[in-house]
Amino acid sequence: MSPMTQRSPFTVALIGNPNTGKSTLFMALAGVRQRVGNYPGVTVEKKLGRVRLGDRDCQLVDLPGTYSLAPRSPDEMVAVDVLLGRRDDLAAVDAVLSIVDASNLERNFYLLSQALELGLPTVVALNMVDIARTKGLKIDIQRLREQLGVPVIEVQANRRLGVDELKTALTEIANRRSADKQASAAPVISPFPAEFQREVARLQNALDQAHAGDSSVRAPAVTNSYHAPWPRYLVERLLLDTSGYLQTALLANGQVAPLDSELQAARKRLAAEGIMVPAVEAQARYAWVETVLRGVVQRPATRVVTLSDRVDRVLTNKLWGMLIFVVAMLLVFSSVFVAAEPLMRAIDTVIGTIGEAVADRLNEGPVRSLLVDGVIGGVGSVLVFLPQILILFFFLAVLEDCGYMARAAYLMDKLMVHVGLSGKSFIPMLSSFACAIPGVMATRVIENRRDRLTTILVTPLMSCSARLPVYTVLIGAFIPARRIAGGLLQLQGLTLFAMYAIGVITAAVVALVLKRTLLRGPTPPFVMELPSYKWPSPSIVLFRMADRGWSFVYRAGTLILAVSVIVWAASYYPHQSAEVDYRLAPRLAAIEEQQATLGTNSPQQAELAAEQADMEHAIAAAYQRDSYLGRLGQAIEPAVRPLGWDWRIGCAAIASFPAREVVMGALGVIYNLGSGVDVGEEADRDRLAGRMQAAVWDDTGEKVYNIPVALSIMVFFALCAQCASTLVVIRRETNSWRWPAFTFAYMTGLAYVGAFLTYQIGMRLPPF
Amino acid sequence: MHDLIPLNLLSPGQYANVDAITGLPEQVHRLEELGLRSGTTVEMVQSGRSCIIRLAGHKLCLRADELLQVLVRRGALA
Repeated sequence: MSPMTQRSPFTVALIGNPNTGKSTLFMALAGVRQRVGNYPGVTVEKKLGRVRLGDRDCQLVDLPGTYSLAPRSPDEMVAVDVLLGRRDDLAAVDAVLSIVDASNLERNFYLLSQALELGLPTVVALNMVDIARTKGLKIDIQRLREQLGVPVIEVQANRRLGVDELKTALTEIANRRSADKQASAAPVISPFPAEFQREVARLQNALDQAHAGDSSVRAPAVTNSYHAPWPRYLVERLLLDTSGYLQTALLANGQVAPLDSELQAARKRLAAEGIMVPAVEAQARYAWVETVLRGVVQRPATRVVTLSDRVDRVLTNKLWGMLIFVVAMLLVFSSVFVAAEPLMRAIDTVIGTIGEAVADRLNEGPVRSLLVDGVIGGVGSVLVFLPQILILFFFLAVLEDCGYMARAAYLMDKLMVHVGLSGKSFIPMLSSFACAIPGVMATRVIENRRDRLTTILVTPLMSCSARLPVYTVLIGAFIPARRIAGGLLQLQGLTLFAMYAIGVITAAVVALVLKRTLLRGPTPPFVMELPSYKWPSPSIVLFRMADRGWSFVYRAGTLILAVSVIVWAASYYPHQSAEVDYRLAPRLAAIEEQQATLGTNSPQQAELAAEQADMEHAIAAAYQRDSYLGRLGQAIEPAVRPLGWDWRIGCAAIASFPAREVVMGALGVIYNLGSGVDVGEEADRDRLAGRMQAAVWDDTGEKVYNIPVALSIMVFFALCAQCASTLVVIRRETNSWRWPAFTFAYMTGLAYVGAFLTYQIGMRLPPF
Repeated sequence: MHDLIPLNLLSPGQYANVDAITGLPEQVHRLEELGLRSGTTVEMVQSGRSCIIRLAGHKLCLRADELLQVLVRRGALA
């Protein structure tokens, strides 16, 4: 089936509960030889690594941290599919490496008991024995080995202790496996009562027979003879899964009803014997865990209060915890703004310099314009986000890895529950005030699929840093600097605040609506583990930062570049204008001739140079007006007129769809200032504001801009999805074009309605 | 002599024994996977609608839910 089945490498799957040091162990085993991607069709991270076992190059698969292998959604199904060798994109798993947290063996062994039912050779890595010791726990590892019957190896993943022993244990399995494929299969260790196991065997038979007779039963994609046609574990899960998810996921439509009646009958028979489904699973597994751990763990008579407990008492305190959280967030986000700013400027400068250097070496024409404005400008618009992404993910990775993120989610849960989300959605939303791209990427911590999607869809409504220039220029030009409410508030500041508030309020409303309509469904209870605090691991922090940055530049960058080139082409071609040919070009030629005839030190030269620049800007503006984009802007004028806009504003808004930060440059071209308008510079800002204040309607000659028009533009920019990068990242994170399309449609729709209402209501209010 | 009460009514520092969890079977199952099941001892750490409880080896944050009730018997020994 897949090319890998021919000579697939020995593959080890790493499983474990969240917060057991799984990523650290993966890092210790695979080092930097790892690749992170996505499983197609789901939002689960696919992490593969290479590890040397003896003289073999082996593959290590890091499965997402989970408490259980009981899939209830496509995302949770991934781990089971990988372990059972049911994925075409991955070689069948040959061995399982199960990492467990020594201070909480009981719960960790629940997952282990599921893993042992897969019939795969298993090695247990007993991690954090040192932390267990500080909690006063004593663990008899030798006894555990005897009672469990599989290799148990003590490791300290963060100090790379025990890693060699782990490799030795895995190498032994690999050697046995290459010697005899069948002999290496481990016995299935099932904790379930005999009656239950009989029902599983019976169902397995029925399914295999149905499969033999009817090809429509989607038999699991078996890539080797290692597993029976219907893996026993899957059949057992079908019997245990009362939610009905697995039936629809595993069977063809015609098969669901007959199997369902069989499942119901089996459950009824079991209930008659006093075995309740699904309660039997927890009972049986925890009973097994108790047997296996008998005499293994010695607890202290009184619980030891650890440093982590004392820290937690402060950090989760309703008053102090909240204060510390607010201060921490302020520090994180101000450093994202402050530290990213010079880097972004530097990137801008470097890109600008390269653009100029290229421009100097090429003749005026489409190639130069494509390279400078399309390609180099496009690359710049990707790279400029990088500092913010890297800095934000540095902090988020530190907070996550030390265990604080769960506390932050706990503190914010009270607030987020009002919009139908949980505390875990808070950080991604907050991050989006800097930039929606890292915000969307930060939603990976939300396990609940509906919550994650809702968060991803509303996150771009937060006013990101790229909207700020639009607000500053328009507020500076059109909102009077007046004090209101007895001098307490300043109108300009209030307007700026209102723009941010519009985004937040709209996001809250949209989230509520989404959770009640499109993403409706049973809300799973909000339960979250609060891991013990620990020092963040530098390698994990750096790796996560690099991974996020790379995945943005590489995966999103290519598409953004394509979009930039398309928009460049639309605003460049056909590069013909009657006005240029008959009016502007001759005048430019006349000015240049005059410059040539007058001596270089003539006092008129300065004036002429200014005239020449003006004329060049006018030519650029004329070309843009007659470009495809300009024509489109004029064609849609009837549509933007109800917003109070003329075609020029419409054109600038359309040009800003790939990236809203280009709007100032676009307006610069439209108002004959050239595209190099830098709103960071006060002089440029004033010049642009001046041109806008003077702008008049082509037909009536009345002023285009007034307060309602300025507000309508700002509201439009606050709500509109004008960022190709964000949409591409949403595509990446949701693995589907449906969600970015939806985001684009609903945000643009809201932006139009919002701008319309702002203008229409504004014009009906008494003049300010 | 000890009455059954919802987990959320415990005050910080109080210990209790989980007697029963009522709700949809799948959701009860999820809590059990996390180690919260009848027979375990819990300690309330931070009370409230979203509360923090301590189980044998770890802490959980849990939000009260009308559809999923954790009933406990107060006064169990640590």
